[in-house]
Amino acid sequence: MLNKDISTSVKKKEHDGKVSGQLPYISDVKLDTLLYGVLYRSPVAYGKVRSIQLPPLPAGYEKIGAEHIPGNNFVKILKEDQPIFANEWVNYIGEPMFMLVGPELDILYQLLEQVEVDIEEHQAIFTLKEAIEQKDQAGIFASHEFGEDLDVIQSIEKNAHQVIVEEYETGYQEHVYLEPQGMLGIYKQDEILVEGSMQCLYYVKNALVSALACEDDEVRVIQSPTGGGFGGKEDFPSMMACHVAVAAKVVKKPVMLLFDRAEDMEVTTKRHPAKFKYRTALDKQGNILCMSVELFLDSGANAGLSPVVLQRALLNSAGVYKIPHFHAKGYALKTNTVPNGAFRGFGAPQSFAAIESHMGHISKKANRDSIEYKRNYMVKQGDPTITNGKFKDPVLLEDMIMDLMKVTDYAKKKAEYRSFNQKSNRYKKGIGASFFLHGCGFTGSGERDHIKATVKLAKTENDGVQIKISNADIGQGVLTTMSKIVAKELDLPYEDISFPYPDTKVVPDSGPTVASRTTMIVGKLLERAAKKLKEQWQSGVAQEVIEHYVHEEMIPWNEEKFSGDAYPAYAWGINFIEVEVDTLTGNVRVEKVYGSFDIGKAIDERIVKGQIDGGLVQGIAYGFMEKMTSKSGRIQQKSISDYGPPTAMDVVHIESKLFDNPYAGGPYGAKGVGELPLTGGAPAVQAAIEDALQISFYQIPVTPEYIIESLMKKAGEALD
Amino acid sequence: MVMHTVSSYRFESLEETISQLSKEDCQIIAGGTDIMVQHKSPRGVPAKFEKPIVFIDHLKELKKIYQNNQDIHIGACCSYSELLKHPLIPKILKVAIQQIAAPAIRNRGTLGGNICNASPAGDTLPLLYIYNAKIKLRSSKGERLIEIKDFIQGPRKVKISKDEILTEIILPEVQEEGTHFVFEKVANRRADAIAKISFAGSLRLDEGRIIDARFAFGAVGPTVVRFMDIEQTIVGEAFPLDNMVIDRVVAGFDRKINPIDDHRSTAVYRKTVALNLLRYFLKKRAFKEGHRIN
Repeated sequence: MLNKDISTSVKKKEHDGKVSGQLPYISDVKLDTLLYGVLYRSPVAYGKVRSIQLPPLPAGYEKIGAEHIPGNNFVKILKEDQPIFANEWVNYIGEPMFMLVGPELDILYQLLEQVEVDIEEHQAIFTLKEAIEQKDQAGIFASHEFGEDLDVIQSIEKNAHQVIVEEYETGYQEHVYLEPQGMLGIYKQDEILVEGSMQCLYYVKNALVSALACEDDEVRVIQSPTGGGFGGKEDFPSMMACHVAVAAKVVKKPVMLLFDRAEDMEVTTKRHPAKFKYRTALDKQGNILCMSVELFLDSGANAGLSPVVLQRALLNSAGVYKIPHFHAKGYALKTNTVPNGAFRGFGAPQSFAAIESHMGHISKKANRDSIEYKRNYMVKQGDPTITNGKFKDPVLLEDMIMDLMKVTDYAKKKAEYRSFNQKSNRYKKGIGASFFLHGCGFTGSGERDHIKATVKLAKTENDGVQIKISNADIGQGVLTTMSKIVAKELDLPYEDISFPYPDTKVVPDSGPTVASRTTMIVGKLLERAAKKLKEQWQSGVAQEVIEHYVHEEMIPWNEEKFSGDAYPAYAWGINFIEVEVDTLTGNVRVEKVYGSFDIGKAIDERIVKGQIDGGLVQGIAYGFMEKMTSKSGRIQQKSISDYGPPTAMDVVHIESKLFDNPYAGGPYGAKGVGELPLTGGAPAVQAAIEDALQISFYQIPVTPEYIIESLMKKAGEALD
Repeated sequence: MVMHTVSSYRFESLEETISQLSKEDCQIIAGGTDIMVQHKSPRGVPAKFEKPIVFIDHLKELKKIYQNNQDIHIGACCSYSELLKHPLIPKILKVAIQQIAAPAIRNRGTLGGNICNASPAGDTLPLLYIYNAKIKLRSSKGERLIEIKDFIQGPRKVKISKDEILTEIILPEVQEEGTHFVFEKVANRRADAIAKISFAGSLRLDEGRIIDARFAFGAVGPTVVRFMDIEQTIVGEAFPLDNMVIDRVVAGFDRKINPIDDHRSTAVYRKTVALNLLRYFLKKRAFKEGHRIN
């Protein structure tokens, strides 16, 4: 290990426990006096609660509601608008109103069915379309506007050869983590302990301190082994933690709250559906003169993280392009539907799907190959960002594209597919590409002003080293990668570094496990801590070192004006995807997937490959398979088979390549990798389907239903 | 704790099983791949059954596959995996079975179960309809045969008495030679998926003319549908079919098929795709290459 490159893969820390099935997840925990909780959920999308009538509760069963919350009845996230138990107004179907706790689930379910609530129903807003139409009355959680003056845009449009007006929509996406949400609250004499499946220990802890109105040391949060998160366990677990903690405090016993798949799919956060409206002015040759975009996010019933998701969506609204006279405006809107929240990519996948689609459509209008066209606008090192920050590090996009065009034999393949499609009636082949980036870490000065990460390394008298950070391994390999960084820096065997699942009683707040920040930001702090420990190393003595976040000087971020450097570093990626479309059924077969990425430096190649393959599959599925719909405020797909995430049968081998481009601010040059690979999947698959069918699409997922409808329309137009 | 107990039987023989069914109204479980899902409780609570359970998945009498003249007899409790391995099972039926769920389900699920579950999206059903499959039912009183189209009444509704058990599926006069089959399942993904629409067809030719034509659609109505009156109109036609004939047949189905919108797909999609697949099959100039599976 010592002399090997850090990228060389090692056995993951939790490998044996997972492979043998011995690693206990929260639902595996059994305690003697354990009580279960079940939530009574609002049957109404929007209304005022008049009364709640409970059946007689057997001994040992209790109702836990808003009246039991010692502190504030809201889940502390950003805004104070998400009740822990909705006791006055309900804002979406499925909103928790109260919880019944008791020893037997069977009895709890029967009791739930006998509850009668009287709710005065009010007119709800069910769709993003309605929210946009009524946005002035309905509720705007956040909005931002920046870029070129609208007067300037207007005068450019007036003199333009043509102005392309285009709308684009993206749908829900469900995380489908393998392990559904679960949380356990344990009552102890001097503290409430909450254990569960989560990404952000201190988010949970802060929410508990607010709900229980208690001192910092009266609550404690331990992450249990977590079977996937993808952002779904960023904000949502805070609410469940409040539920079990309040209950545990009342009944003075441990209380477990576990969701089954159907409940998890119906009521937990999803990726925000979005709508984009573009106006792009072109000259005679099809060159872009100016572009303005308006984007709308369906936030669901409360703000949650939507204001921040909106920021990332806006920051990526021009994709990887330097567009002259760019203007953007965005809104996070309220609807009476399940709240949407964090999801791998955090607003960026919507924006990239939209801008890549729009650029592709413009290139068709200009009669130019879309890759060639996009390359004219690609950002380069030293270029300004759309918020007048600066791409200060090398941008390798051009090299990556040239390389994949060679690997795929792009021009030849295009010609081959054209001739194949002429001969083949039923099946049509196509190839498409996407170019994208991901700003690593928190937006703007978030790391400096809000997170203020701290890490600790503790050395025992036996010279073993323990990592103390609040970042959660959710399958992505944090236990392993962080241990590798520390081991390398200390010249110790990787096995000598221990990294138990974090416990807020032991670990400082190194920030949440989100935003592709853990390796880059926290990893760097650990690298520095390890360096410090090495300098002070005294064999046989217990030692501890602490490191705090140091902000890298950039062009200062101004959230109000939306200007400055939004991120310290960017990871980059490109995808080429080949598909075959069955024109009789609209079914799409993904045949080849290529991805090239610049993530600075891989801390562990196999872990990175896992992130790439998993992210790409999730991104591709977002583009054409995974379809979730809400009808009158109710999620329609409550099972995995109805929602349709890809199976192994739907996925092909993914050819991926890394381009080294070490970033000085990351450990060993590493940047973030978690979210990036998802981002390009949808736009590339859409472009490939468009290439195969020679039809433009204006929404994702490009489902078979949408394809068949478009083919029928095209056939109709051909007859006219 | 409220204990829900349920008696269950697992007899050594079919005789004993049938004898029990004559005495008591029971819930029969073969592979359990549908029943267990339908009786599932919310998380943490066992499945609930109102009636005593009779397990039949192990009964040897129900696992036989044999040929009698031209008829193929399939034991109701043959699992999909067993059917896939058996030489007597028609190739096209294997094509359909291969697309059911995933290996674990195929190891448990049975042909008899697929029929008794009577889902309009049942993957083996369109082919069983075009085979004019006969269902053999046994009770302590004796045996009877019923056509599959009469047996299946609607979603989860079959014509079976409480004391009867489905023992065999008979595919009469199977003639693989000279008959051209198609089966297409259209679903949201390539495994573990429920059909949005499925299509089975067969054309039997003799000296360039069609002597037998059958078409069945799944997931476009409460049961699999077949319209023999339309099928009859192309018997005697020269093959390859004239475009006018094809248009007429497709138009005939267009009038008869009335699918619905649901959380899996839309009525428009189901109908369009059903007719697309039918037209594609009818338009075949020759039967050389099969269509792609999946």
